[in-house]
Amino acid sequence: MPDTYFYRYDRYDRALLSERIAQFRDQVRRRLAGELTEEQFKPLRLTNGLYLQLHAYMLRIAIPYGTLSSRQLRKLAEIARKYDRGYGHFTTRQNLQLNWIKLEDAPDAVAALAEVDMHSIQTSGNVIRNVTADHFAGAAIDEIEDPRIWCEIVRQWSTLHPEFSFLPRKFKIAITGSPNDRAAVRVHDIGLRLWCNERRKVGFEVIVGGGLGRTPMIGKTLREFLPKDELLAYLEATLRVYNRYGRRDNLYKSRIKILVHEIGVEKMREDVEAEYAEMKDGALKLPAETIEAIARQFAPPPLPHRPAAVAEVEALKLSEPNFALWLKSNVASHRMAGYRIVTASLKPAGAPPGDASAAQMEGVADIADSYSQGEIRVSHEQNLVLPHVAVEDLPAVWRALGQLGFAEANLGKITDIIACPGLDYCALANARSIPVAQRLSRHFAEIARQHDIGDLKIKISGCINACGHHHVGHIGILGVDKNGVELYQLSLGGDVDFGKTALGTILGPAVAADKVVEAVDSLVATYLENRGEGERFVDTFRRIGLQPFKERVYAAV
Amino acid sequence: MAKNLAGDLLVASANRLVDGVVVYLDDAGQWTTELQRAAVARDKRGGEILLERARAEGFGVVDLLLVAVTEDVEGVLEPVSLREKIRASGLTFDAIAAEAVRYA
Repeated sequence: MPDTYFYRYDRYDRALLSERIAQFRDQVRRRLAGELTEEQFKPLRLTNGLYLQLHAYMLRIAIPYGTLSSRQLRKLAEIARKYDRGYGHFTTRQNLQLNWIKLEDAPDAVAALAEVDMHSIQTSGNVIRNVTADHFAGAAIDEIEDPRIWCEIVRQWSTLHPEFSFLPRKFKIAITGSPNDRAAVRVHDIGLRLWCNERRKVGFEVIVGGGLGRTPMIGKTLREFLPKDELLAYLEATLRVYNRYGRRDNLYKSRIKILVHEIGVEKMREDVEAEYAEMKDGALKLPAETIEAIARQFAPPPLPHRPAAVAEVEALKLSEPNFALWLKSNVASHRMAGYRIVTASLKPAGAPPGDASAAQMEGVADIADSYSQGEIRVSHEQNLVLPHVAVEDLPAVWRALGQLGFAEANLGKITDIIACPGLDYCALANARSIPVAQRLSRHFAEIARQHDIGDLKIKISGCINACGHHHVGHIGILGVDKNGVELYQLSLGGDVDFGKTALGTILGPAVAADKVVEAVDSLVATYLENRGEGERFVDTFRRIGLQPFKERVYAAV
Repeated sequence: MAKNLAGDLLVASANRLVDGVVVYLDDAGQWTTELQRAAVARDKRGGEILLERARAEGFGVVDLLLVAVTEDVEGVLEPVSLREKIRASGLTFDAIAAEAVRYA
């Protein structure tokens, strides 16, 4: 059995990383010796993913397309234990953040990452960031093609790309290979959706200018159908137009979404197509053998036949209500009969969303080795996914995850909260996110009630930069600072489901920190009183509008 | 009874270069992790002088800033802003321990 069923570094990748680590080690040495000023050093550490937060340095580790081997996850645990405080935070960009790294240890930490073909390069700065993907890639029943093949191609093209090392602002790309978007492609600088056209050819819909942050926008279609082998040429053309015309005079207007908004998608298309026409048959046109060579590395693991109906599973469903609920919420269909995709919830009641201890990471790695071909995914909703679990192993996996506190049957429910690190860690934040998430999580902890409420996504950001994706939460919560007091602005109706991507509508004046739970309780009560047959919270909101929710909340708080 | 002098009292703070830990400048011109040992400036001019001293002692620290604090009758310093309270006291929730398999 190979170490992984996804891309393995070659000599070129390893040489590049090795050179980079040596450079970084020397840069850190010179900084500590006083040979470099902070002004000189800061861009160097940032380009290696090392931030300075409120209390310590934070290392943001790239997890390409959210895919990890058990070996890699164990190494992350080891690094967390050896160089940090023994835990990490999985982020909405499928990355891992270690919040307590010492500068003097940072070169050793990145060298340890390189031992398992990982790095932290381009997790900061005005560059193309880690490319994200559907966390069910390669396993999803509705998948047209594994998007990670294309993520890897984009990763290789964008890594240390000389032309795009000083973009006007950071640049995020997401790819999905399924019609049911799980990668939020319409809220990225570029979103790519693989689809099959009427001629039965698979290509990309290219979506540009989406994003959250201070000025949230839903991406617009730049190209309806792009042949796959022309992807890099088209991306290069788009980035070139952005690099040329994107604003550099105003930080808040420098993302590609502002350029697309200001010049219009038609003009953007015209400029990109003109650039593309010049290069589409050039060096960036991908040879079939290159695509095939990378695709081979993503060949599905050889999953042996396993029974689709298992008596033990049926019996446990009847005897253990929590197992039955877990099957409903945390287990998804797999492309192979006899297998399922399991999501380990990193949102047990009262826990900081997305956090995992070193012991928990190792525990998940062990479960992946025993039951999921040694493979793990990180979802942008801050959970871990076991992509290839046999139906007959579900009881064992449920029990093993339960031992780790990760078997909460709450996926997509009200306590499956996305939250950024917020003011407890982040130098940019205005308000805390994690304590708010914890209070909500404890308040709504009862699993049966969560299932009665149904699918309801709460997303919390500690500032307008929106790392917690509050704009697209069914209930979005944005922390603001008003004269030194934390207040929380609520918005309703956001969504990222494909075809229904929507930005939330602000409910009204922000509420005090100690009123957030009460306010959300009122929103839930309004929904439960008004919901129609089969309606989710967001469906009811779309049907009845903001007013009933608003009246109830402001009468209560 | 605490006297609220928000914005009137200032201490100089920074993050330690080697590990990012929050530090404050004390009366001896040393960087300390203890807020209560920080040198206090009692007006704007004093704050400017304190910042100058902090710059002069700036080797080994980064991100210098002046932090507004209050002082109670017993001389206990307390940052005014929530951000600075968190910088001074740490996380406002319990992080999971390295060997823990459950969040308590």
